Amino acid sequence: MKIFSASALFQTSILLYLLAAIAALVFIKQQKWDNIISNIICIIAAIFGIAASLMKILVEDMPINISIFHSTIPFISVELRIDHLSAFFVLSLSLLVVCVSLYSIGYISHYIGKRKVGLFNFLYSAFILSMFLVMTSGNAVFFLLTWEAMSLLSYFLVVFESEHEENQAAGTLYIIMTHVGTAFLMVGFMMMYSYTQSFDMFGSSADIPILAKNAMFIMFLIGFGTKAGVIPFHIWLPCAHPAAPSNVSALMSGIMIKTAIYGMLRFIFTYLGVQSTWWGALIIVLGIFSSTLGVSYAFVMANIKKLLAYSSIENIGIIFIGLGIGFIAQAQGHLTVSALAIIASLFHSFNHTLFKGSLFLGAGSIQYATHTKNMEELGGLIKKMPLTALFVLGGALSAASIVPFNGFIGEWLTYQSLFANIVPGQAALNILSILSVAVLAMTGAMAAASFVKLFGISFLGLPRSEQALQAKEVPCVMNIGTGILVTLCLFIGLFPLPILKVVDKVVLNLMGTSLIGQLQGGLLIAYYPLQISGNVISPLLFFVVLVAVILFALLVIRIIGGKYSERKYGTWDCGFEALNSRMQYSAAGFSNPIEIVFKILFRPSRKLKVEGKLAYHPESIEYTTVWESIFEKHLYNPIFYVIKMLSRRTKFIIQTGSIHSYLLYIFVVVLVLMMYNTFV
Amino acid sequence: MRNIVYIVVQILVIMLVSPLVNGIIRKVKAFSQKRKGAPLLQMYFDLFKLFKKNSVVSDVSSWAFKVTPYIFFSTALAAALLVPVSTIVTPQEIPGDIIMLVSVLALGRFFMMIAALDTASTFGGMGSSREAMISSLIEPSILVSLFTVGLICQSTSMQQMMEAMKGTGIPLFHPVYIMVFLALFTIILAETSRIPVDDPATHLELTMVHEAMLLEYSGRHLALMELGAAIKQLVFITVLVNLIFPHDQLIAITGISAVVLSLFLYLMKVIFISIAIAFAEVFTVKFRFFSIPNLAALSFILSFLGFLQYFVLGGSNV
Repeated sequence: MKIFSASALFQTSILLYLLAAIAALVFIKQQKWDNIISNIICIIAAIFGIAASLMKILVEDMPINISIFHSTIPFISVELRIDHLSAFFVLSLSLLVVCVSLYSIGYISHYIGKRKVGLFNFLYSAFILSMFLVMTSGNAVFFLLTWEAMSLLSYFLVVFESEHEENQAAGTLYIIMTHVGTAFLMVGFMMMYSYTQSFDMFGSSADIPILAKNAMFIMFLIGFGTKAGVIPFHIWLPCAHPAAPSNVSALMSGIMIKTAIYGMLRFIFTYLGVQSTWWGALIIVLGIFSSTLGVSYAFVMANIKKLLAYSSIENIGIIFIGLGIGFIAQAQGHLTVSALAIIASLFHSFNHTLFKGSLFLGAGSIQYATHTKNMEELGGLIKKMPLTALFVLGGALSAASIVPFNGFIGEWLTYQSLFANIVPGQAALNILSILSVAVLAMTGAMAAASFVKLFGISFLGLPRSEQALQAKEVPCVMNIGTGILVTLCLFIGLFPLPILKVVDKVVLNLMGTSLIGQLQGGLLIAYYPLQISGNVISPLLFFVVLVAVILFALLVIRIIGGKYSERKYGTWDCGFEALNSRMQYSAAGFSNPIEIVFKILFRPSRKLKVEGKLAYHPESIEYTTVWESIFEKHLYNPIFYVIKMLSRRTKFIIQTGSIHSYLLYIFVVVLVLMMYNTFV
Repeated sequence: MRNIVYIVVQILVIMLVSPLVNGIIRKVKAFSQKRKGAPLLQMYFDLFKLFKKNSVVSDVSSWAFKVTPYIFFSTALAAALLVPVSTIVTPQEIPGDIIMLVSVLALGRFFMMIAALDTASTFGGMGSSREAMISSLIEPSILVSLFTVGLICQSTSMQQMMEAMKGTGIPLFHPVYIMVFLALFTIILAETSRIPVDDPATHLELTMVHEAMLLEYSGRHLALMELGAAIKQLVFITVLVNLIFPHDQLIAITGISAVVLSLFLYLMKVIFISIAIAFAEVFTVKFRFFSIPNLAALSFILSFLGFLQYFVLGGSNV
């Protein structure tokens, strides 16, 4: 084996993650060193992961097979198989892990002496390793095992701060939902085995009849959709992501939900192959619902991490829209359009990893400094935490898909694939595509509004509580982690082509069609346009124009207006007494108009409690809004109710508690099995 | 060379004409109220004076408040560079399209909204919150109507779309363009804070949206914000007139006189639409805030019907 091959680098990376997990347990008594050592090993492992995946995508074309353990018991063999798609997801994972682990060195330090840091770091490293193995596993059984490990480890991390009851509830909901999803996957895998006698997902699915393929598609869609958090399977996501410590939230939102996208591409797109147009249409419909509803819920949240969690649902929706177009175009044989759409969704998934990672880390920094996630208790942090503010602003602009950040490029590619998908005549698809355009537009504007709210209410204005007033900038190492991610967001926004070329190679390997001829880029310095089917954009040039206009404006104003002088004075208060922080707009007030317009989604019920004798000068006013959780109430509660009722009924009929009847059951079963073996 | 000429012409025309549009609208409104009104060029005088004044800055605010006027102004001007005023003076290709146009304007709006929250003023929050709602509701119809025209013209670039529209004869004879025209006109009213969505002349806290966000600005900062808003308004008007009323196919001559003629025709179209906007302001009343969704829905339905007519119901065969 060559020392400098991608295969060796991948194996080193895996071993280092194992080492990090072991180190976390070995140094469990010295919490401070435990934290530093295991995180640094994770960073080194991730750097190896970046090198390995880049090498795999750019240099080596053949898939890598690594057989770690091959047992004589059927199906239980640990084998890895890494092709371009796996490597691409490993690349996203590793990039994120470098930054999150750097951040964790500072962030976890406030657990020292209070919590089991060693245990946390063990779970953290093992969780990263499990995601790594999900992306690289070589057969369906091993995939399922690592998938389950990933779910369980993330469950333990979600309930890590278990003294809060809502965290426990969130954990329980998460573990139930994720197992429901896994159950659907298992059915899919069993069908796979029963038709092909093999769990090899890189093999051929030609033996599977079309009807079974449709059924398997539905199974995989529900299974992976639950992990992705796509509406209506999303209910665990907005509870679990905020409950976890922020560095874990960054990993969960940034990359764990992307394993579902990986699974969909691996098992549906390449293994089953796209069989009919309605598959893509169904995925687009799910995407449309996820992005609009996700962003609407995000906008009204006052909890920063809940807002970010719902925004993840929105972004998964955008990725689903891209995937759906890819599926439809593939079914219709428009391979270039399909390639464009898959590139768009992979690229957006990569970007989302970066900006959502940075935003969750930023939210963690706020929580670290103020011990609260509630925007209503924040305000004025821009002066206390200038670097964190800058990074959150960058992440927010990227998440709102605004030029010149990377979020915009992903969305632009999705728009272009929708554009290419509309041809006069095909009624249903055209309507679906133009509705997707409308949805993307509304989602973009509402995402911008949500992040204006997040940034404006938390960082600007006057502090709304004592904690916000006392806040201090977080340790430098945390800001480095967040800063790298945000810098990458801006850099990829300005120079999208290097990453797009990587994505293009992945798609070329995946479906044999490349867009590299159409992805034209000029010189790096002078002019850097991105061209798809004749439509050109150049974020870099826009950035240059922006800077030039600002300089020009400064110069002209200096000539006309002379020297700048300003006077500091209080904000306009209509001539009444001095303003205080409670007169500012609150988070709830900010999103109230949208809440009223879309009241069908929220069904808010408001309660106003006024105390005091004087009607116009009350002593205290308490205002609470409660949103009805529609999906829980109208979709999940009936299902749970039916399941509960059925199990209670069967309990009294079958499970009577008398040992005689149980013996009878065993006897009947044995009899039936014997008869089955004799006659069939 | 072509690029430099384009940039110079574009910036000069847009910067010089945009305050005039406001002047025309105010003049027409004044006449309708039997007043003489301020001079047509009043906004130029105002801007000139504001540039020379000192600024008062809220002591609560941070750097976000001070950089916003520059970012808002420069995004408006950058957006103006994406929408050519004439097809005669254009570069080889403009590296930006309608999707980028929307995103560029969103950058300016993002900063305007956070600056409004920066001063801890209730008015600012109010304006910002209302703007959030209006922009979210109007955005789908902007992209659907521009996409419809773009799909017919086979390009998302404004320049290519304008070139293609020159060959369509009189667009308003085709139902698609009637729908798109009406949708875009409604969008202009909403995006440029006109009655019935917002009232540019009011400073009453119950009604203001755009003005509420600018309330804390003074001096050169205010001048930049006002000019930026005027440029943004002209950008939207330019999109409308140059797509639905293409004019460069009428010009038979070449050379410098063709450029002058083309710019003159452009100016006439802008004046025409400005008067139409003024009439829309005169003949409607400001909607209750929660009636704005109806207007946005109307605009969206119009653009969507336009799309349906052409791409589903076979309008492309006519």
